[in-house]
Amino acid sequence: MSRFLTPASLPEALDALAQPGAKVLAGGTDLMISLRQARMNGDELPELLVDITRLPELQRLELEGPGCYLGAGLTFRFLDENPDARQRVPVLSQAASMVGSMQVRQTGTIGGNVANGSPAADGMSALVALDAVAEIASREGVRHCPLSELITAPNKTTLTSGELILGYAITPPPAPAGQVFLKVGRRHEVAVSRLNLAACLDRDLSDPRVVLGSCFPSPRRLVDVEELIKGGKPGPELWQAAGEMAAGHFTYVCGWRSSATYKVPAITRITARALQRAWAGLEARS
Amino acid sequence: MPLKFTLNGNQVSLEGVPGEATLLEVLRQRLDMLGAKEGCGVGECGACTVLLDGKAVDSCLTAAWQAAGREVTTVEGLAQGDELHPMQKGFADTGAVQCGFCTPGMILTALDLVEQAPEPSEQQIRRAMSGNLCRCTGYHDVVRGVRRGAKYLRGEGEEQ
Repeated sequence: MSRFLTPASLPEALDALAQPGAKVLAGGTDLMISLRQARMNGDELPELLVDITRLPELQRLELEGPGCYLGAGLTFRFLDENPDARQRVPVLSQAASMVGSMQVRQTGTIGGNVANGSPAADGMSALVALDAVAEIASREGVRHCPLSELITAPNKTTLTSGELILGYAITPPPAPAGQVFLKVGRRHEVAVSRLNLAACLDRDLSDPRVVLGSCFPSPRRLVDVEELIKGGKPGPELWQAAGEMAAGHFTYVCGWRSSATYKVPAITRITARALQRAWAGLEARS
Repeated sequence: MPLKFTLNGNQVSLEGVPGEATLLEVLRQRLDMLGAKEGCGVGECGACTVLLDGKAVDSCLTAAWQAAGREVTTVEGLAQGDELHPMQKGFADTGAVQCGFCTPGMILTALDLVEQAPEPSEQQIRRAMSGNLCRCTGYHDVVRGVRRGAKYLRGEGEEQ
């Protein structure tokens, strides 16, 4: 049997998390499933569940000026519906809108999404495209870690017990930017990503971001593809070449596994389409 | 410490609720509220949907203690005596109910939707309801049911 604590303040939460056997509840949409599994298998349950969803420190949203910041407690539903988020970080709003169902979006948070470390986490790809750096607190202090380094393997992170993600410092691409998130799932809604892609383009193509998710241990920026775009002339040929290079990167990293017959053309298309839409979005604004 | 929350307008207080207990278990096993159903138990089917402070959540993915101090609404809390809630009436009048297992969850999801969009489009309805699976029939009549319920809620007549 687990005890349950709803800390009233961040210091209280960090003290609680420092106890052995403590586990963060950051929404519960993944955690409650794993607890259910543990109960069915007769496995040991966490000693203490620490519900951090009511901490105001984790609800920060700053999207103006240099210090853009997203609190780890923001839910997907909030990010899907909030007008400022839709305006300033559409790539994240779009990703949020495609997570699970309305019910799951209501409670699932971007903190839990990252800490859970699923390779298919939609929020992760968008956050990587926004160059997110996680702010992580424990009783010992605060550390900062780029998201791309936080996830080490599927469902494995560098988070140690006692640590809590407070939020993410983000660097959106220079405005105006076209930002697009696309995903391929087994059905349109309530689907786990088979592939996802976050793309951001600024008008000068000086800081393009291309993040491919769900087919690597964790979402990653495709640096070669970004370099190709930087030197290129915007248009269908460039987007197609970028798509082919993205697919090439996938087979280079993952080898020619059985799913590649499907994934290579799918990655090519999803990349080209996301870039084309990001560019069209930018054109529409001018 | 007892777990306290408001259930359909009434204060409830429960002793000995373990941290890992889901809201669904507590509703069904401790409070005899059988409207919320367990379909999948992992947040795919929406049969366990309840409103937590007016917002639809899967009660199978919600720890019971997450409801502490909050307002939980289940389908049992909708009708006023013998008078069905307008959304229930919408579902009944359009034949959107077959076996009924998914219906309580659907009605509560629909209420969250119409709170935001009093006159929802078909696309909005389909998207909002996508986390509520029905295995008897199609979704055509469900879309009509939500639309009809929304209409009744706006106080616009009962014509067929």
